[in-house]
Amino acid sequence: MTKREVDLLVVGAGPTGLYATYYAGFRGLKVALLDSLPEVGGQIAALYPEKAIYDVAGFPAVRGQDLVDALYAQAAQADPVLLLGSSAVSVREHDEGVDVTTDAGEVVRAKALLITAGIGNFTPRQLPVGSEYAGRGLRYFVPRLDELAGLDIVVVGGGDSALDWALGLEPIARSVTLVHRRAQFRAHERSVEQLHASSVRVLTPYEVHKISGEVAVEEVVVTTRAGDQQVLPAQAVVAALGFIADLGPIEGWGLELRRRHILVDRTMRTNLSRVFAAGDIADYDGKIKLISIGFGEAALAVNHITTVVRPGSSATPGHSSDL
Amino acid sequence: MPYVITSSCVDVMDKSCLEECPVDCIYEGDRMMYIQPDECVECGRCEPVCPEVSIFHHEDLPEPVRQFERINAEFFTELGSPGGARKVGRTGADHPDVAS
Repeated sequence: MTKREVDLLVVGAGPTGLYATYYAGFRGLKVALLDSLPEVGGQIAALYPEKAIYDVAGFPAVRGQDLVDALYAQAAQADPVLLLGSSAVSVREHDEGVDVTTDAGEVVRAKALLITAGIGNFTPRQLPVGSEYAGRGLRYFVPRLDELAGLDIVVVGGGDSALDWALGLEPIARSVTLVHRRAQFRAHERSVEQLHASSVRVLTPYEVHKISGEVAVEEVVVTTRAGDQQVLPAQAVVAALGFIADLGPIEGWGLELRRRHILVDRTMRTNLSRVFAAGDIADYDGKIKLISIGFGEAALAVNHITTVVRPGSSATPGHSSDL
Repeated sequence: MPYVITSSCVDVMDKSCLEECPVDCIYEGDRMMYIQPDECVECGRCEPVCPEVSIFHHEDLPEPVRQFERINAEFFTELGSPGGARKVGRTGADHPDVAS
Protein backbone atom coordinates (compact mmCIF):
# COMPACT_ATOMS: atom_id res chain seq x y z
CA MET A 1 0.00 0.00 0.00
CA THR A 2 1.47 3.32 -1.05
CA LYS A 3 0.76 6.66 0.51
CA ARG A 4 0.91 10.00 -1.22
CA GLU A 5 0.95 13.36 0.48
CA VAL A 6 -0.39 16.48 -1.14
CA ASP A 7 -1.86 19.79 -0.05
CA LEU A 8 -5.11 19.30 -1.93
CA LEU A 9 -6.82 16.29 -3.42
CA VAL A 10 -9.46 17.08 -6.03
CA VAL A 11 -11.96 14.26 -6.58
CA GLY A 12 -13.55 14.49 -10.01
CA ALA A 13 -11.80 15.59 -13.22
CA GLY A 14 -14.70 17.31 -14.94
CA PRO A 15 -14.53 21.00 -15.87
CA THR A 16 -14.84 22.18 -12.27
CA GLY A 17 -12.18 19.78 -11.00
CA LEU A 18 -9.78 20.62 -13.83
CA TYR A 19 -10.13 24.33 -13.21
CA ALA A 20 -9.74 23.79 -9.45
CA THR A 21 -6.54 21.87 -10.17
CA TYR A 22 -5.13 24.74 -12.20
CA TYR A 23 -6.20 27.15 -9.50
CA ALA A 24 -4.51 25.10 -6.77
CA GLY A 25 -1.27 25.42 -8.71
CA PHE A 26 -1.85 29.15 -9.06
CA ARG A 27 -2.13 29.36 -5.27
CA GLY A 28 1.06 27.33 -4.89
CA LEU A 29 -0.57 24.15 -3.59
CA LYS A 30 0.64 20.65 -4.38
CA VAL A 31 -2.40 19.04 -5.91
CA ALA A 32 -3.59 15.58 -6.92
CA LEU A 33 -6.56 14.97 -9.23
CA LEU A 34 -8.52 11.73 -9.09
CA ASP A 35 -11.27 10.37 -11.35
CA SER A 36 -12.97 7.02 -11.82
CA LEU A 37 -12.74 7.30 -15.60
CA PRO A 38 -9.46 6.70 -17.41
CA GLU A 39 -9.74 10.12 -19.13
CA VAL A 40 -10.26 13.62 -17.80
CA GLY A 41 -13.31 15.68 -18.73
CA GLY A 42 -16.08 14.08 -16.68
CA GLN A 43 -19.56 14.39 -18.11
CA ILE A 44 -18.39 16.49 -21.06
CA ALA A 45 -15.92 13.87 -22.26
CA ALA A 46 -18.12 10.88 -21.40
CA LEU A 47 -21.49 12.17 -22.59
CA TYR A 48 -21.20 15.01 -25.06
CA PRO A 49 -17.66 15.56 -26.38
CA GLU A 50 -19.00 16.68 -29.76
CA LYS A 51 -21.69 19.08 -28.55
CA ALA A 52 -21.11 22.80 -28.88
CA ILE A 53 -21.29 24.69 -25.59
CA TYR A 54 -22.37 28.32 -25.80
CA ASP A 55 -22.37 29.55 -22.21
CA VAL A 56 -18.72 29.40 -21.18
CA ALA A 57 -17.29 32.88 -20.66
CA GLY A 58 -14.97 33.95 -23.41
CA PHE A 59 -16.13 31.37 -25.96
CA PRO A 60 -18.96 32.27 -28.37
CA ALA A 61 -19.11 28.49 -28.91
CA VAL A 62 -16.77 25.71 -27.94
CA ARG A 63 -16.83 22.00 -28.75
CA GLY A 64 -17.02 19.94 -25.56
CA GLN A 65 -13.78 18.04 -26.08
CA ASP A 66 -11.96 21.24 -27.07
CA LEU A 67 -12.99 22.82 -23.78
CA VAL A 68 -11.77 19.73 -21.92
CA ASP A 69 -8.45 19.78 -23.79
CA ALA A 70 -7.93 23.46 -22.97
CA LEU A 71 -8.87 22.95 -19.31
CA TYR A 72 -6.48 20.02 -19.12
CA ALA A 73 -3.63 22.02 -20.63
CA GLN A 74 -4.34 24.77 -18.09
CA ALA A 75 -4.54 22.27 -15.20
CA ALA A 76 -1.26 20.65 -16.27
CA GLN A 77 0.51 23.91 -15.30
CA ALA A 78 -0.13 22.91 -11.68
CA ASP A 79 1.88 19.72 -12.30
CA PRO A 80 -0.82 17.62 -10.62
CA VAL A 81 -0.48 14.03 -9.50
CA LEU A 82 -3.02 12.33 -11.79
CA LEU A 83 -4.94 9.39 -10.37
CA LEU A 84 -7.19 8.38 -13.26
CA GLY A 85 -9.18 5.18 -13.34
CA SER A 86 -9.37 5.32 -9.53
CA SER A 87 -12.39 5.78 -7.32
CA ALA A 88 -12.27 7.37 -3.89
CA VAL A 89 -13.78 4.79 -1.60
CA SER A 90 -13.42 6.18 1.89
CA VAL A 91 -12.59 9.48 3.54
CA ARG A 92 -11.27 9.99 7.05
CA GLU A 93 -10.71 13.46 8.43
CA HIS A 94 -8.15 13.87 11.23
CA ASP A 95 -6.19 16.70 12.87
CA GLU A 96 -3.56 17.09 10.13
CA GLY A 97 -5.67 16.41 7.09
CA VAL A 98 -7.85 13.98 5.25
CA ASP A 99 -6.96 10.41 4.31
CA VAL A 100 -8.69 9.22 1.15
CA THR A 101 -8.47 5.55 0.22
CA THR A 102 -8.93 4.55 -3.42
CA ASP A 103 -10.38 1.35 -4.83
CA ALA A 104 -6.81 0.38 -5.71
CA GLY A 105 -5.95 0.51 -1.99
CA GLU A 106 -3.86 3.63 -2.35
CA VAL A 107 -4.08 6.19 0.45
CA VAL A 108 -3.80 9.86 -0.39
CA ARG A 109 -3.13 12.11 2.60
CA ALA A 110 -4.19 15.65 1.80
CA LYS A 111 -4.41 18.75 3.93
CA ALA A 112 -7.76 19.41 2.28
CA LEU A 113 -10.18 17.59 0.00
CA LEU A 114 -12.25 19.21 -2.75
CA ILE A 115 -15.10 17.12 -4.13
CA THR A 116 -15.98 18.10 -7.69
CA ALA A 117 -17.70 14.83 -8.49
CA GLY A 118 -20.62 16.22 -10.51
CA ILE A 119 -23.21 13.48 -10.86
CA GLY A 120 -20.96 10.95 -9.17
CA ASN A 121 -18.87 7.99 -10.07
CA PHE A 122 -19.10 6.76 -13.66
CA THR A 123 -19.14 2.99 -13.91
CA PRO A 124 -19.56 0.96 -17.10
CA ARG A 125 -23.10 -0.18 -17.81
CA GLN A 126 -23.26 -3.92 -17.22
CA LEU A 127 -24.13 -6.33 -19.98
CA PRO A 128 -27.65 -7.58 -19.11
CA VAL A 129 -26.60 -11.22 -19.52
CA GLY A 130 -23.30 -12.97 -18.91
CA SER A 131 -21.93 -10.46 -16.39
CA GLU A 132 -20.55 -13.41 -14.41
CA TYR A 133 -17.88 -13.72 -17.14
CA ALA A 134 -16.36 -10.36 -16.18
CA GLY A 135 -12.61 -10.85 -15.98
CA ARG A 136 -12.94 -14.24 -17.73
CA GLY A 137 -13.18 -12.92 -21.25
CA LEU A 138 -15.77 -10.21 -20.65
CA ARG A 139 -14.36 -6.72 -20.19
CA TYR A 140 -15.64 -3.17 -20.14
CA PHE A 141 -12.44 -1.31 -21.07
CA VAL A 142 -9.63 -2.07 -23.50
CA PRO A 143 -6.73 0.01 -22.23
CA ARG A 144 -4.24 -1.99 -24.33
CA LEU A 145 -5.49 -3.38 -27.61
CA ASP A 146 -2.64 -5.89 -27.96
CA GLU A 147 -3.94 -7.85 -24.96
CA LEU A 148 -6.62 -9.16 -27.32
CA ALA A 149 -4.36 -9.96 -30.30
CA GLY A 150 -5.19 -13.17 -32.14
CA LEU A 151 -8.61 -13.66 -30.55
CA ASP A 152 -12.14 -13.85 -31.85
CA ILE A 153 -13.70 -10.75 -30.33
CA VAL A 154 -17.31 -9.67 -29.95
CA VAL A 155 -17.72 -5.94 -29.31
CA VAL A 156 -21.14 -4.88 -28.00
CA GLY A 157 -22.45 -1.33 -28.35
CA GLY A 158 -23.19 1.41 -30.85
CA GLY A 159 -21.28 4.47 -29.63
CA ASP A 160 -17.84 5.86 -30.31
CA SER A 161 -16.08 3.59 -27.82
CA ALA A 162 -17.59 0.46 -29.39
CA LEU A 163 -16.64 1.53 -32.90
CA ASP A 164 -13.17 2.75 -31.89
CA TRP A 165 -12.41 -0.53 -30.18
CA ALA A 166 -13.82 -2.64 -33.02
CA LEU A 167 -11.77 -0.72 -35.59
CA GLY A 168 -8.66 -0.70 -33.41
CA LEU A 169 -8.84 -4.43 -32.79
CA GLU A 170 -9.57 -5.43 -36.38
CA PRO A 171 -5.94 -5.50 -37.59
CA ILE A 172 -4.69 -7.64 -34.68
CA ALA A 173 -7.65 -9.90 -33.87
CA ARG A 174 -8.51 -13.18 -35.56
CA SER A 175 -12.01 -11.80 -36.05
CA VAL A 176 -14.09 -8.90 -34.77
CA THR A 177 -17.88 -8.87 -34.67
CA LEU A 178 -19.73 -5.72 -33.65
CA VAL A 179 -23.17 -6.33 -32.13
CA HIS A 180 -25.58 -3.45 -31.61
CA ARG A 181 -29.25 -3.56 -30.71
CA ARG A 182 -30.26 -0.89 -33.19
CA ALA A 183 -29.52 -0.44 -36.87
CA GLN A 184 -28.17 3.09 -36.31
CA PHE A 185 -24.88 3.81 -34.61
CA ARG A 186 -24.40 6.73 -32.27
CA ALA A 187 -20.87 7.51 -33.36
CA HIS A 188 -18.85 9.76 -35.64
CA GLU A 189 -19.97 9.45 -39.24
CA ARG A 190 -16.37 8.90 -40.22
CA SER A 191 -16.06 5.94 -37.83
CA VAL A 192 -19.25 4.42 -39.23
CA GLU A 193 -17.86 4.75 -42.77
CA GLN A 194 -14.59 3.14 -41.68
CA LEU A 195 -16.54 0.37 -40.01
CA HIS A 196 -18.43 -0.51 -43.16
CA ALA A 197 -15.23 -0.41 -45.19
CA SER A 198 -13.49 -2.74 -42.71
CA SER A 199 -13.55 -6.49 -42.24
CA VAL A 200 -15.47 -6.10 -38.95
CA ARG A 201 -18.61 -8.19 -39.10
CA VAL A 202 -21.55 -5.96 -38.17
CA LEU A 203 -24.64 -7.56 -36.65
CA THR A 204 -27.62 -5.23 -36.13
CA PRO A 205 -30.21 -5.18 -34.67
CA TYR A 206 -28.88 -7.97 -32.47
CA GLU A 207 -28.61 -8.29 -28.70
CA VAL A 208 -26.49 -10.60 -26.60
CA HIS A 209 -28.75 -13.44 -25.53
CA LYS A 210 -26.24 -15.71 -23.82
CA ILE A 211 -22.54 -16.05 -23.09
CA SER A 212 -21.21 -19.53 -22.45
CA GLY A 213 -17.92 -21.28 -21.80
CA GLU A 214 -16.53 -23.76 -19.33
CA VAL A 215 -14.05 -21.53 -17.52
CA ALA A 216 -13.89 -18.44 -19.71
CA VAL A 217 -15.91 -17.09 -22.62
CA GLU A 218 -16.08 -19.53 -25.55
CA GLU A 219 -19.28 -18.64 -27.32
CA VAL A 220 -21.74 -15.76 -27.60
CA VAL A 221 -25.32 -16.21 -28.77
CA VAL A 222 -26.94 -13.10 -30.22
CA THR A 223 -30.57 -12.75 -31.27
CA THR A 224 -32.90 -10.27 -32.93
CA ARG A 225 -36.26 -9.39 -31.48
CA ALA A 226 -37.80 -11.39 -34.34
CA GLY A 227 -35.96 -14.44 -33.01
CA ASP A 228 -33.14 -14.80 -35.52
CA GLN A 229 -30.10 -16.26 -33.83
CA GLN A 230 -26.36 -16.32 -34.48
CA VAL A 231 -23.79 -18.29 -32.54
CA LEU A 232 -20.39 -16.59 -32.44
CA PRO A 233 -17.25 -18.33 -31.25
CA ALA A 234 -15.40 -15.79 -29.10
CA GLN A 235 -12.65 -15.68 -26.52
CA ALA A 236 -13.23 -12.02 -25.70
CA VAL A 237 -16.33 -9.89 -25.30
CA VAL A 238 -15.95 -6.12 -25.03
CA ALA A 239 -19.08 -4.46 -23.65
CA ALA A 240 -19.08 -0.76 -24.55
CA LEU A 241 -22.55 0.17 -23.41
CA GLY A 242 -21.77 3.54 -21.93
CA PHE A 243 -21.69 4.61 -18.33
CA ILE A 244 -24.00 5.08 -15.42
CA ALA A 245 -23.16 7.63 -12.77
CA ASP A 246 -24.19 7.49 -9.17
CA LEU A 247 -23.01 9.03 -5.94
CA GLY A 248 -21.65 5.68 -4.83
CA PRO A 249 -19.46 5.75 -1.73
CA ILE A 250 -19.78 9.54 -1.28
CA GLU A 251 -23.05 8.94 0.56
CA GLY A 252 -21.08 7.19 3.30
CA TRP A 253 -18.47 9.91 3.94
CA GLY A 254 -20.32 11.64 6.75
CA LEU A 255 -21.17 14.67 4.64
CA GLU A 256 -24.37 16.58 5.10
CA LEU A 257 -26.44 15.96 1.98
CA ARG A 258 -29.57 17.53 0.56
CA ARG A 259 -31.38 15.64 -2.18
CA ARG A 260 -28.18 13.71 -2.90
CA HIS A 261 -26.07 16.84 -3.22
CA ILE A 262 -23.41 18.01 -0.78
CA LEU A 263 -24.38 21.02 1.31
CA VAL A 264 -21.74 23.75 1.48
CA ASP A 265 -21.42 27.15 3.11
CA ARG A 266 -20.43 30.41 1.39
CA THR A 267 -16.79 29.31 1.26
CA MET A 268 -17.79 26.01 -0.38
CA ARG A 269 -16.91 24.18 2.83
CA THR A 270 -18.93 21.12 3.82
CA ASN A 271 -19.81 20.12 7.38
CA LEU A 272 -16.30 18.59 7.59
CA SER A 273 -13.72 21.35 8.18
CA ARG A 274 -11.14 20.14 5.64
CA VAL A 275 -13.60 18.95 3.01
CA PHE A 276 -14.98 21.32 0.37
CA ALA A 277 -17.25 20.74 -2.63
CA ALA A 278 -17.81 22.65 -5.87
CA GLY A 279 -19.62 22.25 -9.17
CA ASP A 280 -22.79 20.27 -9.83
CA ILE A 281 -22.46 18.15 -6.70
CA ALA A 282 -22.39 21.17 -4.35
CA ASP A 283 -25.66 22.59 -3.12
CA TYR A 284 -26.79 25.74 -1.30
CA ASP A 285 -29.87 27.92 -1.48
CA GLY A 286 -30.11 29.49 -4.91
CA LYS A 287 -27.76 27.00 -6.58
CA ILE A 288 -27.78 26.72 -10.36
CA LYS A 289 -25.82 23.97 -12.07
CA LEU A 290 -23.74 25.41 -14.89
CA ILE A 291 -20.14 24.97 -16.02
CA SER A 292 -19.55 28.68 -15.60
CA ILE A 293 -20.82 28.58 -12.03
CA GLY A 294 -18.64 25.53 -11.35
CA PHE A 295 -15.59 27.57 -12.41
CA GLY A 296 -16.49 30.34 -9.99
CA GLU A 297 -17.10 27.86 -7.19
CA ALA A 298 -13.78 26.14 -7.91
CA ALA A 299 -11.84 29.39 -7.52
CA LEU A 300 -13.83 30.33 -4.43
CA ALA A 301 -13.21 26.93 -2.87
CA VAL A 302 -9.49 26.80 -3.62
CA ASN A 303 -8.88 30.30 -2.29
CA HIS A 304 -10.52 29.34 0.99
CA ILE A 305 -8.78 25.96 0.99
CA THR A 306 -5.47 27.83 0.80
CA THR A 307 -6.18 29.30 4.24
CA VAL A 308 -6.81 25.79 5.57
CA VAL A 309 -3.64 24.36 4.05
CA ARG A 310 -1.55 27.35 5.13
CA PRO A 311 -3.10 28.89 8.20
CA GLY A 312 -2.50 32.60 8.27
CA SER A 313 -2.40 33.02 4.49
CA SER A 314 -4.95 35.19 2.76
CA ALA A 315 -7.96 33.87 0.92
CA THR A 316 -7.50 36.69 -1.56
CA PRO A 317 -5.06 35.69 -4.28
CA GLY A 318 -4.20 39.00 -5.88
CA HIS A 319 -4.51 39.12 -9.63
CA SER A 320 -2.93 36.52 -11.89
CA SER A 321 -2.01 39.30 -14.33
CA ASP A 322 0.24 40.85 -11.68
CA LEU A 323 2.45 37.77 -11.49
CA MET B 1 -34.56 21.63 -16.64
CA PRO B 2 -35.32 18.15 -17.80
CA TYR B 3 -36.54 15.98 -20.61
CA VAL B 4 -40.13 14.76 -20.36
CA ILE B 5 -41.85 11.53 -21.44
CA THR B 6 -45.28 12.01 -22.98
CA SER B 7 -48.48 10.18 -23.90
CA SER B 8 -47.17 8.01 -26.72
CA CYS B 9 -45.24 5.97 -24.15
CA VAL B 10 -48.46 4.86 -22.47
CA ASP B 11 -48.95 1.10 -22.81
CA VAL B 12 -45.89 0.84 -25.07
CA MET B 13 -42.91 1.29 -22.76
CA ASP B 14 -40.26 0.29 -25.29
CA LYS B 15 -37.56 1.23 -22.72
CA SER B 16 -34.83 1.94 -25.27
CA CYS B 17 -34.38 5.17 -23.31
CA LEU B 18 -33.35 3.22 -20.21
CA GLU B 19 -30.25 1.96 -21.93
CA GLU B 20 -29.15 5.44 -22.85
CA CYS B 21 -29.71 7.32 -19.62
CA PRO B 22 -26.33 7.88 -17.95
CA VAL B 23 -27.87 8.78 -14.61
CA ASP B 24 -30.54 6.08 -14.49
CA CYS B 25 -33.28 8.67 -13.94
CA ILE B 26 -36.04 7.03 -16.03
CA TYR B 27 -38.46 5.18 -13.76
CA GLU B 28 -40.96 2.51 -14.69
CA GLY B 29 -44.62 3.14 -13.95
CA ASP B 30 -47.38 0.68 -14.64
CA ARG B 31 -48.39 2.17 -18.01
CA MET B 32 -45.54 4.52 -18.91
CA MET B 33 -42.01 5.59 -18.06
CA TYR B 34 -41.28 8.82 -16.14
CA ILE B 35 -38.18 11.04 -15.99
CA GLN B 36 -37.17 12.28 -12.53
CA PRO B 37 -36.70 16.01 -13.23
CA ASP B 38 -34.20 16.62 -10.41
CA GLU B 39 -32.02 13.73 -11.53
CA CYS B 40 -32.10 14.39 -15.29
CA VAL B 41 -28.87 16.04 -16.43
CA GLU B 42 -30.30 17.02 -19.83
CA CYS B 43 -27.77 15.10 -21.86
CA GLY B 44 -30.47 14.41 -24.45
CA ARG B 45 -29.43 10.85 -25.22
CA CYS B 46 -32.88 9.39 -24.58
CA GLU B 47 -34.71 11.61 -27.05
CA PRO B 48 -33.53 10.20 -30.39
CA VAL B 49 -33.79 6.54 -29.41
CA CYS B 50 -37.49 6.55 -28.50
CA PRO B 51 -39.31 4.71 -31.30
CA GLU B 52 -42.55 6.42 -30.21
CA VAL B 53 -41.02 9.92 -30.40
CA SER B 54 -42.33 10.33 -26.88
CA ILE B 55 -39.46 12.26 -25.31
CA PHE B 56 -39.05 16.02 -25.53
CA HIS B 57 -36.97 18.67 -23.86
CA HIS B 58 -39.40 20.47 -21.60
CA GLU B 59 -38.99 23.68 -23.59
CA ASP B 60 -39.87 21.87 -26.81
CA LEU B 61 -43.01 20.09 -25.62
CA PRO B 62 -45.77 20.13 -28.23
CA GLU B 63 -48.88 21.91 -26.96
CA PRO B 64 -51.12 18.80 -26.79
CA VAL B 65 -48.75 17.07 -24.35
CA ARG B 66 -47.59 20.09 -22.33
CA GLN B 67 -49.22 18.69 -19.20
CA PHE B 68 -46.68 15.85 -19.16
CA GLU B 69 -44.02 18.14 -17.71
CA ARG B 70 -46.22 18.38 -14.63
CA ILE B 71 -47.16 14.67 -14.82
CA ASN B 72 -43.53 13.53 -14.90
CA ALA B 73 -42.67 15.79 -11.97
CA GLU B 74 -45.73 14.90 -9.88
CA PHE B 75 -45.12 11.17 -10.35
CA PHE B 76 -42.18 11.64 -7.95
CA THR B 77 -44.09 13.47 -5.23
CA GLU B 78 -43.96 10.41 -3.01
CA LEU B 79 -41.04 8.56 -4.57
CA GLY B 80 -38.79 11.61 -4.24
CA SER B 81 -35.30 11.35 -5.70
CA PRO B 82 -34.20 7.76 -5.15
CA GLY B 83 -30.96 8.30 -7.09
CA GLY B 84 -31.37 5.51 -9.60
CA ALA B 85 -34.23 3.58 -11.15
CA ARG B 86 -32.40 0.25 -10.90
CA LYS B 87 -32.69 0.41 -7.12
CA VAL B 88 -36.43 1.04 -7.37
CA GLY B 89 -37.47 -1.36 -10.12
CA ARG B 90 -41.07 -1.42 -11.32
CA THR B 91 -43.16 0.92 -9.25
CA GLY B 92 -46.47 -0.59 -10.43
CA ALA B 93 -48.00 2.88 -10.06
CA ASP B 94 -48.90 5.76 -12.35
CA HIS B 95 -49.74 9.43 -12.11
CA PRO B 96 -53.52 9.74 -11.54
CA ASP B 97 -53.91 11.39 -14.98
CA VAL B 98 -52.32 8.34 -16.60
CA ALA B 99 -53.67 5.48 -14.46
CA SER B 100 -56.66 3.90 -16.14
